[in-house]
Amino acid sequence: MDLFHRVLCGCGLDAGFMRLALAGLLLLSPMAATMGVQVVNFRFAFFAEAISHSAFAGAALGIVLGLSPRISMPLFALAMGLGIVTVQRRSLLSSDTVIGVVLSAVVAFGLAVVSRRPDVQRTMMRFLFGDILTITSGDIVFLSVLFGAFVVFQALAYNRLLYVGFHPVLAETHGIPTAVFQYLFAGFLSLVVILSVWWIGVLLVTGLLIIPAATARNLARSAGAMFWWSLAVGTSSAVLGLLISAHPAVRTATGATIVLVAFCWFLVSSVVVRWRK
Amino acid sequence: MNNFTETSAVIFKNLSVTLGGVPILANVSAHVPLHGSTAIVGPNGAGKTTLLMALLGQVPFDGTIDYNPKDPRVGYVPQRVAPDRGLPLTVLEFMVLGPQLTPLWFGVGNRHRDQAMECLQDVKAETLAKRRVGTLSGGELQRVLLALALQRSPDLLVLDEPAASVDFQGELLFCELLERVRSKKKFTQLMVSHDLESVAQHATHVICLNRRVTAEGPPREVLTPDILTTLYGMHMGLLRSPATVS
Repeated sequence: MDLFHRVLCGCGLDAGFMRLALAGLLLLSPMAATMGVQVVNFRFAFFAEAISHSAFAGAALGIVLGLSPRISMPLFALAMGLGIVTVQRRSLLSSDTVIGVVLSAVVAFGLAVVSRRPDVQRTMMRFLFGDILTITSGDIVFLSVLFGAFVVFQALAYNRLLYVGFHPVLAETHGIPTAVFQYLFAGFLSLVVILSVWWIGVLLVTGLLIIPAATARNLARSAGAMFWWSLAVGTSSAVLGLLISAHPAVRTATGATIVLVAFCWFLVSSVVVRWRK
Repeated sequence: MNNFTETSAVIFKNLSVTLGGVPILANVSAHVPLHGSTAIVGPNGAGKTTLLMALLGQVPFDGTIDYNPKDPRVGYVPQRVAPDRGLPLTVLEFMVLGPQLTPLWFGVGNRHRDQAMECLQDVKAETLAKRRVGTLSGGELQRVLLALALQRSPDLLVLDEPAASVDFQGELLFCELLERVRSKKKFTQLMVSHDLESVAQHATHVICLNRRVTAEGPPREVLTPDILTTLYGMHMGLLRSPATVS
């Protein structure tokens, strides 16, 4: 126990903000990692990328409407996520084309607004890299509520989402309300991504989603095990990444360190796959 | 008309489908006999799959489709499924994705396992239960998809060229398997097929479709050289005539 305490103190976890960061990551990383299973399944990586880039437009819209970015960003991301799914379902254009069009438009809108306001350019820069160490106790409460809703959603939707991802018409014909699950998935994914942007950054959020899920695909022998592997890889990468980044001998950006730890997991899983063959 | 309705599982009345401004089906009227094996035949681009999609509620249409029973349980076997080879989804897990509410993280429940294994046994695919869906051959996947559709105890089984990805012998074996299962489970079968030989051998009713219905009836009345030439726009003949194979 004494050794454990010394390790935590050595990594700066005796500080209040570090404990909050750890709590935030323990809520955020399981959501991102398990959502990643379905992101890979639906080939939705580009969708997640587009939602993360909506951070600029969401914040810009907040500036225009006089709203806090903490309100305008999630609302904008949610609207954009649901909007993309609506267009995808009705358009003859391919999915990546629809997302590409929307992504370009929202980034352009965000940059256009920010270019007129030099005072907020610094705020925008923080979204590129994120900072988990700035998480507050209010954020933890909000994340806890979202986490509860997320667990219920995952429990009810995991099997159905795998089915819809496999063959939507087959799933629908066999009694699955495909549209409901597609919209719920897009909504939850949009919220998880945009919240991750605050603390992990636009550049790295996709890594938080995709790498644990890709690693899980390599290691798991069943769809059930894939969930647990993704959860284990995502959460352990987040905790290890935080501890390593905070160590006095390392002192690297937390988001980047987390993604690098997850990537190490992925490399190990790739070796395991080759070894099994 | 009442008798006709009672002996029909599905009746299409003046069904028309236009997609992206292009008319795909025009005034299609046909019926699918109850508990029979109906085949839809026609050239590429005739609207066969679109007719099935209208039946499954996947495309908007004008006209009506009447069902008997009113709200049938439908089993569907799609055309050319290309499973994600990297997804570690086992056949048994695939079978319970629909019926099992408990997430797969906690494994497959005993009740659902037994039910799934029974359906896999019906199509002689029980040995595939632990295999990954993405590693199955065309014929194996086809049998698993059939087991999945049968698991719903369907009133109506809809198959869209289920044998498109298997060879000639594989298609014959599949049709024989299907006939055995249908005689045991007593469902109505509606299948799109390109293989006229197999249709002549296994179907009890044939709908010839080329944007509209050109002929409809038992194979020996419909699969004649004249009707097939009109349907395909070129001379078509069977290796064996329906009269000799049925």
